[in-house]
Formats: sequence, C-alpha cells, structure tokens
Amino acid sequence: MTTLNPGPRVVKQAIHWMLKLRESGHNARLQQQCEQWRATHQEHELAWQRVQSLHQELNLRAVPGASVALQTLENSSQRLQRRQALKLLSGVLVFGSAAWLGKDLQVISPLTADFASGTGQRRSVRLPDGSLLQLNTNSAVDLAFEADQRLIRLKHGELLLTCAKDTSAPGRPLLVSTRDALLQGFNGHFVVRQDDNCTRVSVSQGTVVIHSPGPTQWIHAGQSYRLDTRGATLLQNQDMDAGAWAEGLIVTRDMRLGDFLAEVGRYRHGYVSCADDIADLRLSGVFRLEDTDKLLQLLPQTLPVTVSYRTRWWVRLERLA
Amino acid sequence: MPSRESVYTLYSHHHGWLNTWLRSKLGNAADAADLAQDTFVRLLQRRELLELNAPRAFLRTIARGLVIDHWRREELHRAYLEALAHLPEAEVPSVETRELLLELLERIAQMLDGLKPKVRRAFLLAQCEGLSHKEIAEQMGVSLRSVERYVADALYHCYLLRYESEA
Repeated sequence: MTTLNPGPRVVKQAIHWMLKLRESGHNARLQQQCEQWRATHQEHELAWQRVQSLHQELNLRAVPGASVALQTLENSSQRLQRRQALKLLSGVLVFGSAAWLGKDLQVISPLTADFASGTGQRRSVRLPDGSLLQLNTNSAVDLAFEADQRLIRLKHGELLLTCAKDTSAPGRPLLVSTRDALLQGFNGHFVVRQDDNCTRVSVSQGTVVIHSPGPTQWIHAGQSYRLDTRGATLLQNQDMDAGAWAEGLIVTRDMRLGDFLAEVGRYRHGYVSCADDIADLRLSGVFRLEDTDKLLQLLPQTLPVTVSYRTRWWVRLERLA
Repeated sequence: MPSRESVYTLYSHHHGWLNTWLRSKLGNAADAADLAQDTFVRLLQRRELLELNAPRAFLRTIARGLVIDHWRREELHRAYLEALAHLPEAEVPSVETRELLLELLERIAQMLDGLKPKVRRAFLLAQCEGLSHKEIAEQMGVSLRSVERYVADALYHCYLLRYESEA
C-alpha cells in the first residue's frame, strides 16, 4: 500500500472524473464509466479515494455557519498579501509556507498537534480534553484527538500523563502508542518511557491496560512493566522513582553509579562517563535536576570518586586515589 | 533527523538574533518569543540534514513561514469577525462552531497559499458557494474551459500538498 503512489497523470485523471461527475449531477452513465476507470488499476482507485477525501475535506458547504467563508477567505488573503509585501520585502518569494512545512500542515490545530522538549527541558501541556501531558527531557509526541479516540504518539523520550474524564465526547479511549506498545489509560496518572530497546510503563495512580505487545493485560497502581518484542514483563524492585522527574528530581534506591550517570546524561548536552571500577558503586538519594553540574559535584561527598571536566561537555568520574 | 547537538548549537548561537528579527516583524515580544521557540521545534522535527553553511538564512526561512502562518491566523480571525458582524443575529453560529470553522478556514487558506488569484477564486466559488462551472464562468467573465482548468489545477495543488509530502 505504501509503495503505491499514483503518478501525476493518474491524479489528474481522478480529479477530472470527480469534477465531471459533480458537474453532471452524478449522471448514471458517467458514474459507470468512472467506476470502470477506477477498477482498471489499483493506482486509479487509490488516486480516486484520495481526491474524494480531499474534496470532502475542502467542502465548505457541509459546515454549519459557512455562509461567510468565501468572504472571510478572500478578505483575509488580500490583507495577508499586503502585510507580506510590506514587512517581508526581501526578494525571496514566500510561496506557500504550507508547502514548505509539508506534513506539519495541521500543527496549529489543537486537536492534532506536536509537542517536543529539548535536552534538559520539561514541558507541560493541557490537552483539549483536560488531561495534563508532561514531557521529560528530549521528548516528542504527536497528538491525534479524533471523534472516536484520543491518541498520543510518543515519538521519543518520556511522558507523564494525568488523565481527565472526557467530558466533550464521553467514551473516547485515551491511548498512548510507542514503538513497542499500545496502552490505554483510565483515571489516574502514569509514566511511559521509550528507551532504545524497550518501552517502560509505570502506573502511580489508577489503571492502565496494555493492548500490545502480548495479550491484553491490566497494570495497577504501583506496578511497572517492561514492554518489548518478547511481550510484557513485570519489573520488580525498581532502583528509581519513575515519575520524580516531573518534580525536577531523580530519586534512587541503591542504584548503580553507571546507571545513575546514564540517567543524568539524558538531561545534559555532552557526555558523562565513569571508570569501570566505580560503575558498580551504589547510590541512594534525592537529587535535583535543575543544575546537573551541581548534582555531579555533590557525588564525591557520598562516594569515593572524583569528578573531572575534560571540556565543559565531557565529564568523567574516577576512583578517588 | 538533524542531530540534537547541531540544533542546540544553532540555538545557542542564533536564538537572540532570531528573537530580535522576529520582534522587528511582529512588533511584539511575546509572539516573537513563541515563534522563535517554534522555529527550533520545527528544526528538531525535520528529517533532512541541516543546511549549516548559512544558518541564519536557513532559520529565517523557517521563521518567515511561521510569521506568515501567524499573520494568516490574525487576518482570518479579523475578516471572520467582520463578516459575522454583517449577519443577522439569528444566523451567527455558536462559539464552538466558530472555532471549528476558523480552524477549517485556516487549513484551507494555508493550502491555497501560492495559487493564482483567479484559480483560487474559481475554486472557492465552487467549494464555498457550490456554484457550477458555468455559473462561475459567468460571474468571473472567463470561458468555461478556463474555469474547468482553474478548479482542476487548484485541486491538484492541494493534492500534492496533502499526499506528496508524505511520500
């Protein structure tokens, strides 16, 4: 399906058919000919479907209150052109910013928006249904809030979702998808994190259902699961509080120093590492994320290590001589 | 996907400059800050490699697109409110409907960006008013053949925007 992409000639034919049918008041004989054309090739049918759906999408007559649409579009377009001419005189043709942005066309719509956070950043977004979405460092999501579902696609990174009851359209499921899994949230809040080789989900309140991988399964408050191609595995004795980052903290219990530094590294630009002979030292405590340099400077107070900066971005921990 | 490192470098070197440039276009610090932020978000979402030879020209291209989107939204809201003001009270749609319609109008306006005025006009007369090609030809004072070509061209333009950018 994805490899099939109708060529320009076929698309133009499909448009031709659609307009001809519309103008003829859907004449039965033409309709039949059009169906024949569609049936001759899969490519024809796909082009036809796309042209139809595009035409519907652009059909302003079907929308209530659209009587003023033409006037609004024409007036605003003239003014927009004047403003562009006035303020962006730069010799560059500003043809179709939309074309340039391509797939991001719908970004401005609150119902299908993208959000992203940079390294060391956290972002909170109130979703159209009232749910609260928090993004941890270096994370990105796509939203697709539609008539029958509320879908959040985690493209990379980590999110904390505090679910709201869907008052605008009760019954729409609240879904989170990642590379490895499809989850459904109910009341409460939970963390979803996509790592290189798995997705982890931790529920702190309420319930989450795993739809995939594996058979449908409930996760209850206090539980964490690892999800990958082999299925869902319950995680025991977590060495870190999954949602503490939302409060700007890393909370560890007996965590390996090597793992701890990898975690801290997510919030920094550059590279943090340690010598092999100290990677298994254990660490428990509450650390603030707002300044990870300060955080690293604190480590020698509790562990036999030294922190050295090779450059500002390259930090290495060694055993205290 | 550009590397985060390179976007970060770009950000730290040019963020202040971009902010100033945007403020000169928008005349408003809060909008400028928002759009500067959006510019870098767009960068992070891009799949191609960055053109780093001329980073400021590159950033300006993205930012300019966002400025136009911003203005388009403003002008649409304004034109829409004006149009509503001329409607009899009973025909003024509810707040929810207005929001929905504005969103739709914005999407359409964005799609039709760059079309020749006649092409755009013919297409909108068909889509908004439901006029037949013959009626459009009469209203615009052009031939039926031209109207057919205009409407088909406009649809093809929209088709490319919608489907070809995903390929």
